Amino acid sequence: MNGRAVPPRRLWLLAAGFLVWCSALVVLYALHAIGCAFGWQAGALRWSLAIVLFVHLIVIAWMWRHLATARPEPKLGQAAVFLQTVVVWTLIAALVATVITFAPSLVLKTCI
Amino acid sequence: MSASVEQPPQGAPALRLHRQLVKIWATGPGWQRLAAVNHSVIGLRMVITSFVFFAIGGILGMLTRVQLATPNGDFMDAETYNQVFTMHGSMMLFLFAIPMVESFAVYLTPKILGTRDFAFPRLTAYGYWCYLLGGTILTVSLIARVAPDSGWFMYTPLSSNVYTPGVNADVWLLGVTFVEISALSLAMEIVVSVLKMRAPGMSLDRMPIFGWYILVTAMMMIVAFPPLILGSILLEIERAFGLPFFDPTRGGSALLWQHLFWLFGHPDVYIIFLPMAGALSTMIPVFANRPLVGYRAIVVAIIALAFLSFGIWVHHMFTVGIPHLALAFFSAGSAIVAVPTAVQFFAWLATLAHGKPRWDLPMLYIFGFFFVFTAGGLTGVMLAIVPFDWQAHDTYFIVAHMHYVVAGALAFPMMAGFYYWLPLLTGRTAAYRLAVPAFWLIFIGFNLTFFMMHLTGLLGMPRRVFTYNGDEGWDWLNLLSSVGSFVMTIGFGMAVIDIIVQLRFGRRVRRNPWNATTLEWAMPMPPAPYAFASIPRLGPGKEQAAPGQLALSLARGEGYLGFARNGWQETLGVHMTSGEPDQVIVLPQPTYLPLVTALFTGAAVLAMLFKLYLLSLAMALVTIGLFVLAGQRAGLGRDYGPLPIGHGASVPPHTEVASAPPWLALICVLVADGTLFTSLVFGTFYLWIAAPHWPANLAPEASRVLALGVIVALVIAAVAARGSLRATSAGARAQGWIGLAVIALLAAIAAAVGLIGSVTPHPHQHALGATAAALIGFVALHAGIGLLFLISNLLRIHAGFISPRRLTDLRLSRLWLDYTTVTGIIALGLVLALPALVATLGARP
Repeated sequence: MNGRAVPPRRLWLLAAGFLVWCSALVVLYALHAIGCAFGWQAGALRWSLAIVLFVHLIVIAWMWRHLATARPEPKLGQAAVFLQTVVVWTLIAALVATVITFAPSLVLKTCI
Repeated sequence: MSASVEQPPQGAPALRLHRQLVKIWATGPGWQRLAAVNHSVIGLRMVITSFVFFAIGGILGMLTRVQLATPNGDFMDAETYNQVFTMHGSMMLFLFAIPMVESFAVYLTPKILGTRDFAFPRLTAYGYWCYLLGGTILTVSLIARVAPDSGWFMYTPLSSNVYTPGVNADVWLLGVTFVEISALSLAMEIVVSVLKMRAPGMSLDRMPIFGWYILVTAMMMIVAFPPLILGSILLEIERAFGLPFFDPTRGGSALLWQHLFWLFGHPDVYIIFLPMAGALSTMIPVFANRPLVGYRAIVVAIIALAFLSFGIWVHHMFTVGIPHLALAFFSAGSAIVAVPTAVQFFAWLATLAHGKPRWDLPMLYIFGFFFVFTAGGLTGVMLAIVPFDWQAHDTYFIVAHMHYVVAGALAFPMMAGFYYWLPLLTGRTAAYRLAVPAFWLIFIGFNLTFFMMHLTGLLGMPRRVFTYNGDEGWDWLNLLSSVGSFVMTIGFGMAVIDIIVQLRFGRRVRRNPWNATTLEWAMPMPPAPYAFASIPRLGPGKEQAAPGQLALSLARGEGYLGFARNGWQETLGVHMTSGEPDQVIVLPQPTYLPLVTALFTGAAVLAMLFKLYLLSLAMALVTIGLFVLAGQRAGLGRDYGPLPIGHGASVPPHTEVASAPPWLALICVLVADGTLFTSLVFGTFYLWIAAPHWPANLAPEASRVLALGVIVALVIAAVAARGSLRATSAGARAQGWIGLAVIALLAAIAAAVGLIGSVTPHPHQHALGATAAALIGFVALHAGIGLLFLISNLLRIHAGFISPRRLTDLRLSRLWLDYTTVTGIIALGLVLALPALVATLGARP
């Protein structure tokens, strides 16, 4: 009954990928609104959006790589394996969602 | 220093144990029923209450269909029609759908997770009474003909004072906020209970899929409701006190309301859908005779769905004039949200395809759901495409889509769930001669009613019109819709008769009639007030035990806590991930306090409604006092040390551990409150960037000295709270530290009030001043709540509820004051930054 268990704080990892997706949404939406409101040059706004998008993609991809290669400690039991699998797949889902949702910032006209 | 406790009886026979536990757990007869806090009692009441509101909302829907059945209908005038359709939507969403899914969760979750009750039974009861009273206020307003009439999403400026000068909009804002308090409190209760109160050995990977659905849904509620609560508070402040958050003529923005509303409104669809999907994921494997396919994929899908559903609120606002690039974000998000939903669909279909499905009544409704929700999902993908949405926006196509996804996704799984779990409540089975025809009437009536609305919408019929001329080509479609609504109603009527027949004359069924594998069937039918006479152990080699066999073993007290001790309502708390027991949770006994507190909360709301603001404030203070009073009786008055729980194991009571349920509950509160705060900050930036009439020369001024004074006082209070915790841990007196924190908070409140008084432009004159006042008011309010924490600490130290081993109260105060300090620095920093922000507006082209 006193065996080791996955620390509860690791449950936050279940949300990690999509929290980064949320961050991308908020920052891109706000940056786009500010850029259009203040009449930024289209090129500058496009680059700003692209940089923000790529930074978020890199963060998710880094977490994916980091967590996918880490093996759960055997003494933590099946719950650790389960959580790692779910976390890795939420990261993959978040990465795909980030690409699909925010790719328009690379191609569409900025402020019409 | 383990203190002696009454020893548990050894080898108690089932009947004796039952009698002992009933004596402790049962709700008393007569008036004592009003003191009930048991989840089974409250859950059942919520089910019944939500169905009463469903009936009222359904009748209102029927009235609209009568009005629209033929052109130039004069069954209702426009004003009455506005009230009827607004109340139909509001009741169905706020008084039926959300409470109904919560009632399922309240009644079933502890049983499915193998525990005896929720973590905070008094909060469950308070949530129920708030829901009942809030719903009653809304219903009475309908009878008094002052019901809300601005549509169920209360768009400004229609709902502002200028265009709705009566109390109609106030009834909605106050009544719905009242109900939201209930929903939010229950959501926190659910999160804590799912994470901390499962059967021993039920690690997260062993948790029934229903638990994951309910956990994710409750977390969504914690994040989704605060933006609407903030919007409702701001709109009510605008209506009552004239602060122009949504008034474009004074620097506000009507669109801010839409953002705040849909930040709640879109996730709400999934808040309704997910618990029903959880019910489907529980039922389908039972009828397929095989485990659910893709358990892990479903967990991933519901997490993805939860987040994506928040990121697409703007698809309700495609026509308001947002730049195309931003629309593309929300359009793409709205399309891909279908993917995690599809993952669940395919998992259900695969479960059926790979199993040996058997046909029974719940399966009829499950297939009805497949048909209806697929149709609704497809029109959802259509509406995610911006050009199509521009054509269909505000037409009956939207009404049709909305009913397919919300009503269809709710009604059919709900009926399936009802027929599946009703034997648990009654010990009897349905009368199939009524139930099967009832399904077909509901299914045919539903599709006849709402499918036609797609066509009327595509033919250009706008939503919310109270009549039409008859030359638009909508006549026969509207007539068919109306006929369909009557057919559907007859179906629901037959289902109600069937349920009454089942209750009265239904054939008795054996335990676990569906051969299910979840724990709610491992108990007496109908369930006893204690749910499990002893708590089951799951784990390797244990999961194969059928609930029927397990029930007998548990009834004999062969699980954990198979005894009565000290007259306590005991259950087990577990480690969040492994499910290993780590504490005995002693739950409070029945009490009238939740009812009384809800009555005073209701009185505060009503006084606000009748513009008796001082009385409202007094009632709110009494309510707060009652919460402090409730806190005085919580926990244990002395240290006990590890307590035996059976099977040779001992764990400490929840008062003596760091991971007690209140700690997790406060984290949930802070997440909800943080969302509200973030929404307020978002609102400030939104008005800055998007609202008209924010000229650069409108420079606000805030006293930096006062602002810094507030921040310094908050930091001192937070440091003092730490000091009180350290002192108590070391066995020293903490009163000095707490006194210092109290003085610091009083100083912070005084400085904040002074700051609000010095805000320019005056909060009545411009939204700039109003948002600054709201931000400072937020800080003052939280400092005030911090004071309550500290007063409660002093009282409980005096009463002996706090000791070096029982530190939860002081840890809660510390966390609250840390949070207040952080949000205070952000809020006041933003207030101080407003002049610079406004100055930048001069750079706009």
